[in-house]
Amino acid sequence: MGKPKELRILYENLDVPDMHTIEVYRQHGGYKSLDKLFGMEPSDLVDMIKASGLRGRGGAGFSTGMKWSFVPKDIEPKYLCANADESEPGTFSNRYVLERKPHALIEGIINACWTLGIHTAYVYIRGEFTLGKVRLDAAIKEAYANGLLGDKVAGQDFALNIYTHAGAGAYICGEETGLIESLEGKRGQPRSKPPFPAVQGLFQKPTVVQNVETLCNVPYIVNNGVDWYKAMGSVYKDCPRGTDPVNSGTKLYCISGHIEKPGVYEVEMGLTANELIELAGGVRGGNRLKAVIPGGSSAPILTPYECDVPLDFTSLQMAKTMMGSGGVIVMDETVCMAHALTNLLDFYAHESCGQCTPCRNGTPWARDISKRIEQGLGEPGDVDRLIEVANNIANVDTFTWNTICVFGIAVSWPAVSFARKFRPEFEAHIREGKCVTLPVDEAVTPPEENYAWPQALAEAAQKPAWD
Amino acid sequence: MSFEFTPENLAEFEELVTHYPEDYRRAVTLPALHLAQSQEGWCSPGVMEYIAEMVGTSPAQVRDVVTFYPMFFEEPVGKYIVRVCHTLPCDLCGCAKIKEHLCEKLGVGMEETTADGKITLLSTECLAACDQAPVMMIDDDLHGLLTPDKVDELIDGLE
Repeated sequence: MGKPKELRILYENLDVPDMHTIEVYRQHGGYKSLDKLFGMEPSDLVDMIKASGLRGRGGAGFSTGMKWSFVPKDIEPKYLCANADESEPGTFSNRYVLERKPHALIEGIINACWTLGIHTAYVYIRGEFTLGKVRLDAAIKEAYANGLLGDKVAGQDFALNIYTHAGAGAYICGEETGLIESLEGKRGQPRSKPPFPAVQGLFQKPTVVQNVETLCNVPYIVNNGVDWYKAMGSVYKDCPRGTDPVNSGTKLYCISGHIEKPGVYEVEMGLTANELIELAGGVRGGNRLKAVIPGGSSAPILTPYECDVPLDFTSLQMAKTMMGSGGVIVMDETVCMAHALTNLLDFYAHESCGQCTPCRNGTPWARDISKRIEQGLGEPGDVDRLIEVANNIANVDTFTWNTICVFGIAVSWPAVSFARKFRPEFEAHIREGKCVTLPVDEAVTPPEENYAWPQALAEAAQKPAWD
Repeated sequence: MSFEFTPENLAEFEELVTHYPEDYRRAVTLPALHLAQSQEGWCSPGVMEYIAEMVGTSPAQVRDVVTFYPMFFEEPVGKYIVRVCHTLPCDLCGCAKIKEHLCEKLGVGMEETTADGKITLLSTECLAACDQAPVMMIDDDLHGLLTPDKVDELIDGLE
C-alpha cells in the first residue's frame, strides 16, 4: 500500500481559469449528469443514492439516500435548502466551490430536485461569502439563460427555480431548523424536533436541507454509477450496532493551524490524521504535534497518540469524536491548551442562540472557568467543575442534551475532551498560578486513559489501496 | 429619521419578494435588511419601520431579527468595515498581533470607529478561510496571510 494522495472529484478542475462560468464548466464535462438523470425514475435514483453509501457531509453523516426516502411524495410544494452557511471553525471547502465552481452546486441541486420532485430550492449562503454569492448568482443567471433552470429544465417537463438567500453572520443558522427559521425571516433559533424538516420544514412544508458538498457528490454518482462511487473510501466489518460501516467517496478535508501547507485536500475517506498531516507538508517548522481537532471545532480533540485513527465517519465515531465538517485544526507544541479551549468557548458563548438556559448560561460559564485557568486564576477543582458545567449543557458520556439542538453537545465535546485529555496542563496552570505550556508528553493524559479507538477495528478495515 | 428605498433598490426588493410564497412575505426580511443597510449604512429605526411595513410585519419583529444577526448594525458605522477573524485557526496563526497592530494604527479599540468616521474595526468569528489565516475582510473583500506590513498597505490604500 502506497501513501494516500489527493483524488480530485468535486475539486477537479477547480483551478481552471473561468471555471465559474457555464462555458468553461461545460467544456470540462459539466451538466453531463442531466443526460442520464432525466432518463431515470426518481424512485430508482433514491435507491441509487442509498446504495452508493453517500453520507451527509455537513456533520451528522446520515445516509443521504435514507434521508431522501423519508420525503413524502404526495405533498406539494416541497423545498430543498442547500446549506452554504459554512461557519464551523476550521472549515472552508464550500467557499471554494461557490467561488470557483458554482455550477457544480447548481448541477447537484437539479439532480436532487428531480429525484425528490422539488420545484423550488434555496441556497442559504453565509453573509460573509460575498464573492461566493456574486459568483453563484451569476451562475444561476447563466443556467436560466441556458435553459437549465426555469419552467422546462433542459427541455424536460420539469420546472425548477433556485434562489440564493444570504445569512447575516449567525453560526447557528447552519443547524438545519435554525436555517429554516432564518429563511422565513426570523431569528435563527432551532426548532424542537419532531416534526423533522422532511415532514414539516420550510413554510411548514416537507423540506430537505443538504450540505453543499453532499449535493455536489450526487451528479458524479448519477454519472458514474454506484460501483464506481463505492470503490472509493473505507468499509468496516463487525461494527457495533448502530454504527454505519460505510464511508463511500472522497472528502474535502480542510487543514489549518500549525501546518506547512494549509488548504483543502480531497482524498478518499480512510486516510489517517497522521497521513493527512504528512500530505499537507507536516507540522509547521518541524515542530512536535500536540493536538488535532478532526472535524471542525465541535469535534472532540485528538492527542498525538490518537492520530492513527482514519478520518472517516465510522472510525471517528468509534474514537468518540466525529468527522463533522472535515475541518482539521492542527496544533503544535507551542500551544497552551487552556488558551485554545478558551478561544473556542468564547466562540460558542458568542454564537449560542440564547433559547435554552443550559446553553445560554452554561457556555459563558464554562468559558469563564477555562479563561481563569488560562490566566492562572483557577482554583483547585476547576477542571472537574468545567467538565461538570459542560456535561450539564449536554452530556458527552450518555450522549443526551438539555437543549433543543445539538449546539449543546458542540460546546461540551471540545470542553470535556480538552479538559480530560490535556488535564495535566490544565492542572499545572492551577498549581503554578500562571499560564504554563507543558511539553507534549507531560501535557497529555496517558494514552491508555484516553485512547478509545479500538485497534481491532483497524484490522477489520477495508481501507482504500492507495496506488 | 425616515427611510425609503431608492427606485433601483425598490425594484430589487420587488424582485426579491417573488422568491418566496405570497403568504410568507416575511421571509424577505433578511434580504431586505441587507439591501437597506447597503443604502443607509446601518439599520436605523427608520429602516426597521420601513422594512416592517414593506414585509408586512411589525417594527418590533424586524428589530428582533436585526438584534440577532451580527452583520446588521444597530448603530451608525464608519465608511469602511474592517472585520478581523479571531477564532482558533486565525488565533494559532497570530491574529492577536494583527488586531493589536490595527488598534494601534487606527487609534481605536476593537468594536470602535475612528474619530473621522472612516473605519469601524470589528473582531469577528471564523470567516471560513482558515487556510489563509490570519484573515480579515474590508467591506466585501477578503484578505488573507496578513502581516503588519500587508495590513498597513491595505489600510493606507483606503480613500
